[in-house]
Amino acid sequence: MKLWLGLALLAGPLAAQSAEARLEGRVPGAAIPAVDSLVQRAYAEGLPTEPLIQKALEGGAKQVTAPRIVAAVQVSLGQLRDARDLLVHGGDEPPVTPGEVTTVAWALRRGLPGPVVQRVLVALPRPPRASAMHAVADLVAHHFDPDSGADLIIAAIGQGVVPERLLDVSAAAAHELQRGHTHAEALALVRQELPNVPASPKPTRSAVARARRPAAPTPP
Amino acid sequence: MDVTGAPSDAEVVARVLGGDSEAFTLVVRRYEAGLLRFAARMLGSRDAAADAVAESFVRAYRHLASCREPARLRTWLYRIVANRCKSHLARRPIADVSLDEAPAVADAADTELNLERAEQLALVQRALVRLSPEKREAFLLKHVEGLSYEEMAAVTGERVPTLKMRVHRAREALLQVLEEYE
Amino acid sequence: MNAIDPRIHQALDGELAPAALSAELSRVVERLVTAAALLAAPLPLASLESRVMAAIRRPVPSPARRLLRWLATPRAITFRVRPVWSLAFAAVVALLTLFPLGHEGPDIGEHEGIAQFVGRFPGAQSVHVVGSFNDWRSGSIALEDVDQDGVWRATVVLPTGAYEYMFVVDGERWVPDHLAERLVADEFGRENSIVIVRPARR
Repeated sequence: MKLWLGLALLAGPLAAQSAEARLEGRVPGAAIPAVDSLVQRAYAEGLPTEPLIQKALEGGAKQVTAPRIVAAVQVSLGQLRDARDLLVHGGDEPPVTPGEVTTVAWALRRGLPGPVVQRVLVALPRPPRASAMHAVADLVAHHFDPDSGADLIIAAIGQGVVPERLLDVSAAAAHELQRGHTHAEALALVRQELPNVPASPKPTRSAVARARRPAAPTPP
Repeated sequence: MDVTGAPSDAEVVARVLGGDSEAFTLVVRRYEAGLLRFAARMLGSRDAAADAVAESFVRAYRHLASCREPARLRTWLYRIVANRCKSHLARRPIADVSLDEAPAVADAADTELNLERAEQLALVQRALVRLSPEKREAFLLKHVEGLSYEEMAAVTGERVPTLKMRVHRAREALLQVLEEYE
Repeated sequence: MNAIDPRIHQALDGELAPAALSAELSRVVERLVTAAALLAAPLPLASLESRVMAAIRRPVPSPARRLLRWLATPRAITFRVRPVWSLAFAAVVALLTLFPLGHEGPDIGEHEGIAQFVGRFPGAQSVHVVGSFNDWRSGSIALEDVDQDGVWRATVVLPTGAYEYMFVVDGERWVPDHLAERLVADEFGRENSIVIVRPARR
């Protein structure tokens, strides 16, 4: 579920070929026809299919039963539909891009209320929005009120903080909490400093030296 | 420790900010018992509580200059510990505070309690971890740490009516859970 | 949740004299007061004084350095002080960035970043990180415990984006990253951790 890469490129061909090839041997056989059908339905509706395939693969890896895998994929499809509807209501011209649907679905899964998601969509009428959504969700994970969290991120956008730096804004607010400030104080302090927020640091040289690319997946 | 006649919080803060860092021991001695108890009840783990409170004291020391009302040092310390507990809980899956793990605070090491009280405490602690962190925090601050609603507002940053509502809901939920177990 | 008689709240908030309550309501009040009293009992915990003062006496780095350190290794702090072996924990510490060319290690592309996975699993024979970045395929990203202290690590180059993951210990035990700040229900009754890999070239 890569947000910032072109899911649109993946969704079409994968669905067209059917998901069966990727699921074979990884997911209980009894689940495959139903999952494949849900994937095809998503494709027909212009929704991303990769999140559904990933959910099925996850269930297979976790040795979950076929009915639970199908149920989880159905839930995921419902979230994607909700996300598409929010995007359309937020002003995106249909057909909305699969990448944006995935972004909004993430936000909903992370607990952002629909109206809050819509406020962020209105503040950022054009993609990329993934950083903004995750920044608000990060604030909510730190027990900031969702509306107040969205206010901060929208204020940051308004003051010219580029999307890639919005996660630094939420990190700065969390840092103020750690320093003993209340949630309200933390928001006020960060807001006062906008558009300046500390940048996340570069990794150490040894970390880069250690970094390895994961082994390529074995073909199914 | 008997702190009768000891300097006030404001005086201790002034001494520490004036360069007498050792005076901070007075702060630790004065408040560690309550803070440890609060954190242990919040987190359901003594080890996690000790970590959270120790880190909070060090943070409090390093940011003592930002304590705007030294006379209210106690609530400021509770705020730091409460924030750390919430961060800890936010990073921890709900299942991690399971009922199986919940009685960690009422084990055989509670030598000061007799067996019956230990069992009762385990029951209450089980009920406590079933509450949401916000309700648990509200109940503990009000009924265990004995803070006023105004002090609780200073600790949590929430409004008094909100906190009252949380305490009410916590009492109701706690009673319900206690009845389930009894 | 059932609402209780408001007089119980009033009595507990000191707004109503306990004597004004019926015997039944008094019993409910008593039950809550007893529960609170049990929780208020002192805990037999060791004093933190020496530990706190030792930390305070250490030289204090500059605020900028502290901020940098906090941002760089937030979970390492918790990690160092947590002694409970059974609490498997882990962290995704790094988030990527631009690096001067010419360093050892892999070249990092424009749409790539670095994620560091760290977990404490004493006694484990193997630990893998499995997630949406590797099609939930166990075995492709192994963590290593080079100095055999029970701390397992992997530093991985990944395409930028957000991913869900869990650790798999000894090939069979699925363990969430307990200290990940981002968690999401996996729809199978557990929670996945989330890592966001930010673009290297920002």
